[in-house]
Amino acid sequence: MFARLANGNVGPVRVIEGQKTKLSRTMHGIAYDELHDEIIVPVHLAGALLVFRGDAEGEDPPVRVIQGPHTGLLRPETVALDVKHNEILVGEDSGHDVLVFSREAHGDTAPLRVIRGPKTELDEVRGVAVDPDRNLIVVSSRSKTFPTGIWVFNRTDDGDVVPQAIIAGPKTGIVRIRQIAVYDGRIFVAVKNNKDSFDANAAAPSPWDPDVPGFIGVWNIGDNGNAPPRAWIKGPATGLIWPAGLALNSADREIYAIDSVRNGMLTFFMPEVFGSRGNEPAVGNEQGKE
Amino acid sequence: MWVPTERSFAIGRDIRGGMQEQAKRWTALGNAVILLAVLGAGQRPHASQWLTGISSSSVGNEEDDDTCSGSLLSAVQAAAPATEVPTGGDIGPIRMVQDPYPSLHSIALDVATNQVVISDSNRGNLLFYPRTSGSLSPSVVVPERQIRGPATGMMFIAGVALDSAHNEVFTVDNDIGDRMLVFSYGVEGNVKPKRVLFVPHGSWGASLDAARDEIAISVEHINTVVVYRREASGAEAPLRVIHGNNTGLADPHGLAIDTRDHQILVGNHGNWAPLTRLEAMQGALRGGQFQLPSVAAFDETASGDVKPLRTLQGEHTQLNWPMGLSLDPVHNEFAVANYGSNSILIFRRTDQGDVAPVRVIEGNRTGILGPMGVAIDPQNDELWVTNYRDHSAVVFARTAEGNVAPKRILRNAPLDTPAVGFGNPGAVAYDSKRKEILVPN
Repeated sequence: MFARLANGNVGPVRVIEGQKTKLSRTMHGIAYDELHDEIIVPVHLAGALLVFRGDAEGEDPPVRVIQGPHTGLLRPETVALDVKHNEILVGEDSGHDVLVFSREAHGDTAPLRVIRGPKTELDEVRGVAVDPDRNLIVVSSRSKTFPTGIWVFNRTDDGDVVPQAIIAGPKTGIVRIRQIAVYDGRIFVAVKNNKDSFDANAAAPSPWDPDVPGFIGVWNIGDNGNAPPRAWIKGPATGLIWPAGLALNSADREIYAIDSVRNGMLTFFMPEVFGSRGNEPAVGNEQGKE
Repeated sequence: MWVPTERSFAIGRDIRGGMQEQAKRWTALGNAVILLAVLGAGQRPHASQWLTGISSSSVGNEEDDDTCSGSLLSAVQAAAPATEVPTGGDIGPIRMVQDPYPSLHSIALDVATNQVVISDSNRGNLLFYPRTSGSLSPSVVVPERQIRGPATGMMFIAGVALDSAHNEVFTVDNDIGDRMLVFSYGVEGNVKPKRVLFVPHGSWGASLDAARDEIAISVEHINTVVVYRREASGAEAPLRVIHGNNTGLADPHGLAIDTRDHQILVGNHGNWAPLTRLEAMQGALRGGQFQLPSVAAFDETASGDVKPLRTLQGEHTQLNWPMGLSLDPVHNEFAVANYGSNSILIFRRTDQGDVAPVRVIEGNRTGILGPMGVAIDPQNDELWVTNYRDHSAVVFARTAEGNVAPKRILRNAPLDTPAVGFGNPGAVAYDSKRKEILVPN
């Protein structure tokens, strides 16, 4: 945990770590619940969701754990919170699905709903967000078979359902995609655009030579198809190389981006993308998308 | 039974057969995309239209409903110049948290050449120091040489190993990169590796078996140990794979070859989850599990779903996020970098079950903070520890115990320089109540 105004070579103000926390590597999602003051983290390597008190520190254990064969969890990748409907949404890469649990679920509990199946065209789910007001779920999915992009489902969709929209295609600029957030009808996306290199004689993909640098892209929640972003943070001045995650602070109109190659956290001030609702209290999960 | 060529070594298939076909697809796709981009230019609403709020009139862009399958790389490169510039663009961050100094990860010693190598996962860097480096002064120790740069292929590197017989240094990418990289002794700077081997995603520990001319690698994500020829390169398949329910492997990290007893020691964090729904349904329906951390010993020729020869596990072991391991065949002991409790645990080489360590180095005088790597030097009676949460490595007497000060400190940043601690982070959230930014590693 870093102070909001942290800048430069600054250490964290708090750290949750150690065996009792049940945390591991490969945690590609996190959400903060302001109303209940809780932190939700998926643990990919143990097929679990952990819920911590908001002020947890050191080796404090989680207050709730969702894990077990009846949860349907395989390798949870990303997480979002719908405070309005008291639900936790989980996206899985190898599970190719989105699972919805009660916010208060604990133990080996079955999900309330699951979006999964060939009609969904979901593959590696890397990000999930919810628009509780418009009753929509937004998902980022990466695939070598299906499109790679942004999916929009009805919030109460269950089973093998066709998405309402898929934003994907060359004009989106999306090659690889990670965390997403929704605020006031806008979809904020960490477009990582990292690439694999299959040539053993070539230089590896590295911080020094990214071919297609990643960016933060913003789309309207009504966009569909091969739509370019309405706004973006992209270019050498941004410092972004492969942004893997983002979070929004609407009160201060800031966007936080985490960059996996730079090993850095970057803050952007971009008031125009928060619209007129920028100073309103947080609604749903906008204050901390995975 | 898990078949590595069907999952984790898909990269190898791409190398062997997929590149030419993929290149053709990219070319065809790129040509099609250029046409679509030209046709679609200028059809999107102006930024000010949507910034006023969401309405039915401000959503659109349905004119091209094509989506890209396969690689989008060349397609995006071709399409990008033809699109209207969105709002925002190349704006600088108002704040950035980043550590300009190395984050010390794993460590290996070569007493024959009197050198120490430490991997830096923050900057994709290998740092070489003389074995006698460090002091009790607050001075920064400049490495004798570094290997770093795009030609090296190093990304988020983890384990390291030194081969004094063949004058080679080995390191593995833990995340993003998925390679084992081998360099000759003496090289420095932005140099191409002598050999590159594609390894499974999540590789962490690396240990050489000089007698068998092999290298063993632990793999976190797939709960596996893979053993390759020392000279393996490209997409070469491993000689042996240890994987399965009986192995007890669960998020393995540190790994050490015991050449005296012909065994492999593997440290486990204890996290386990099925890779696929098929695996989840094998036998009884299984979901994810949090097991106790452990150190398991396998025969050096073990392969498949085999039980370990012995397992060290339980409350008395004090294991807590065990990271690097180091074996001391001379004194019949092994050391564990115990990250979760900022300590080093020393066990007898053949300890098993729920037994306490014979010695523990722990406390505020030790300078141990986030220990990631450990290396015992039995010839010089020393024990090295790399600190991930401090810009330092600390050197103790081999038999040090309790809350003791190190005999030398090797600093790679000025005293009291904060360590950010990011390790290939992949997510972020904002705590609006405390005005804090949350980052899981």
